[in-house]
Amino acid sequence: MNWSWVGVAPFFAFAIVFLFLPSLSIFYRSFQANDGTFTFDNIIALFTTRDIINAYKTSLQISLITAAGGAMFGFLLAYAVVLGGLPRGIRTFMTTFSGVASNFAGVPLAFAFIATMGNAGLVTRWIESIFNISTREMGFSIYNMWGLSIVYMYFQFPLMVLIIAPALDGLRREWREACENLGGTSYHYWRYVAIPILLPSLLGTMILLFGNSFGAYATAYAFSGSFINLVTVLIGAQIQGDVLYNPGLGNALALGMIVIMALSMTGYIWMQKRVARWIQ
Amino acid sequence: MAFLEINNVSKKFGATEAVSDFNLHVEKGELVSFLGPSGCGKTTTLRMVAGFESPTSGRIVMNGEDITEMPPNQRDVGMVFQSYALFPNMTVADNIGFGLKVMKKSPDEIKQRVKEMLDLINMPEYTHRYPYQLSGGQQQRVALARALALRPDVLLLDEPLSALDAKIRVSLRAEIRSIQQKLGITAIYVTHDQEEALSLSDRVVVMNKGQMEQVGTPFEIYNFPTTTFVANFVGTLNAAEAEVLDPAKGLISVDGVQFISADDDLKTKRKGDKVRMSIRPERFSFASEGKKANVVDCAIENITFLGSVVRIQVRIGETNFNMDTFNNPFLELPKIGDRTQVTCSQNAVLILEE
Repeated sequence: MNWSWVGVAPFFAFAIVFLFLPSLSIFYRSFQANDGTFTFDNIIALFTTRDIINAYKTSLQISLITAAGGAMFGFLLAYAVVLGGLPRGIRTFMTTFSGVASNFAGVPLAFAFIATMGNAGLVTRWIESIFNISTREMGFSIYNMWGLSIVYMYFQFPLMVLIIAPALDGLRREWREACENLGGTSYHYWRYVAIPILLPSLLGTMILLFGNSFGAYATAYAFSGSFINLVTVLIGAQIQGDVLYNPGLGNALALGMIVIMALSMTGYIWMQKRVARWIQ
Repeated sequence: MAFLEINNVSKKFGATEAVSDFNLHVEKGELVSFLGPSGCGKTTTLRMVAGFESPTSGRIVMNGEDITEMPPNQRDVGMVFQSYALFPNMTVADNIGFGLKVMKKSPDEIKQRVKEMLDLINMPEYTHRYPYQLSGGQQQRVALARALALRPDVLLLDEPLSALDAKIRVSLRAEIRSIQQKLGITAIYVTHDQEEALSLSDRVVVMNKGQMEQVGTPFEIYNFPTTTFVANFVGTLNAAEAEVLDPAKGLISVDGVQFISADDDLKTKRKGDKVRMSIRPERFSFASEGKKANVVDCAIENITFLGSVVRIQVRIGETNFNMDTFNNPFLELPKIGDRTQVTCSQNAVLILEE
């Protein structure tokens, strides 16, 4: 008898207990009213309640913005570090910093931004005292969707650097030289060789950044409380709230998130198949 | 004027001089090999011709035009890389047609040229395959076709066969030579494999420590090496310290055993000078009755069977020499410890420069 499956058994057990069963529970409870009876009300509420629709809209907007922005700027940063001919020490520093920064989220991150760019933040006060400009009177505030996007960028950026740097390392010098040897310029190299080769990695990283942002709760809640209407904040209110307590709706909201992530993953797999036909 | 001229080219990386005062003129349609050990500067020289490295000093002239400062994408040079360097995201046809696409040739023209190239490398049915679906040998043939698709003036090959197994190497090098001759293209071939260099080149440049040791036809390089390095690097070599006894007669002594050399270099020496002599193993033979010159006594030290050749180690005086003889199942070989006589012709005894 082949016992090699024993090696992967803990992984499957872990996935079943902490992923599959909770997902099943969310699905089941989405159709439960507060008194435990079966209902479609929670699911119907997802499509009919304005606050919920807006929450999904804002969450998706922030996730798309920070995934695209994080991917773009993180890619450029990784490019500069890996292929920019910078001293080796800078790369080591950047990698270490990215490792730390990509995990710097939640309450400490929110506080860091409030303390620097909030209404009474260090930078805000500094601008006021040096330039005699009131950013608040000029309409600048970080307590909105764009502000939260900037906060999210703080961990999205370095996560992109960490993930895409090995892919950039995988670009072989000979490909660029072969391209040049065949009359190509930098444009030809990136357009026809490097970007297509990196595209599967870029898409994979973007979906990860999207999920990372879409599921973030602690940072958003600590940063703005319920001021910015996000799905995760709304779920928290339904499960923990005294006033809005409705676990069935909370589960339905979570189910909606699972469906969106599943659709994103399906789209990713479809695109991956299209752009990576050349991968063995 | 030669088709490709490399004039006084040097290349430094920091304090290290990778190539030093390199001079070579290559005629149109000629295949020249750069042969040498790792780090001898052969690839650096090739990369300077391709434009991937800039010479620290010296000029490179191709077809009458100074290309020293010209960017690689404007040189009319095709290159085949050691690691194939095929674009993994493109099919065989797209790889071969890439240069033509960059040059904005029409799709029909690209298709036609790709077909010609695939026919040339005998892979017409592989058009839509990706590199990962090809063997190493097939990938290198596609890389060759890609380099040739633009009809370059010069083809550069940087150890193109070193990643392949021995059997494929032999067949592919014959194919490369055949294609090069068929197209009449000027080519530079970098290799550290002496057999490869000797078998497919019109001329061989032996390099060591960034410098040219010797340039010549494969026949000259093998049979008349001018330096100890070339003699050692190309083929198997017997070398020994010798004392000049009579320069006019070509008489030298190795551990008291006398040899006569026909090498003209000996005439510039004086009696009592120390020189380095060498004899190729295959130039020795067992002495038969009547042979007088260079007949020396020896003891059989070891016998190694190498397939088509049998290598016999003989001790002459205090020095061990290798002697190669063709394998013949009906030939009676001496036994280890036997004493016998071996001989070689006078022109087999070479005097080497240090």
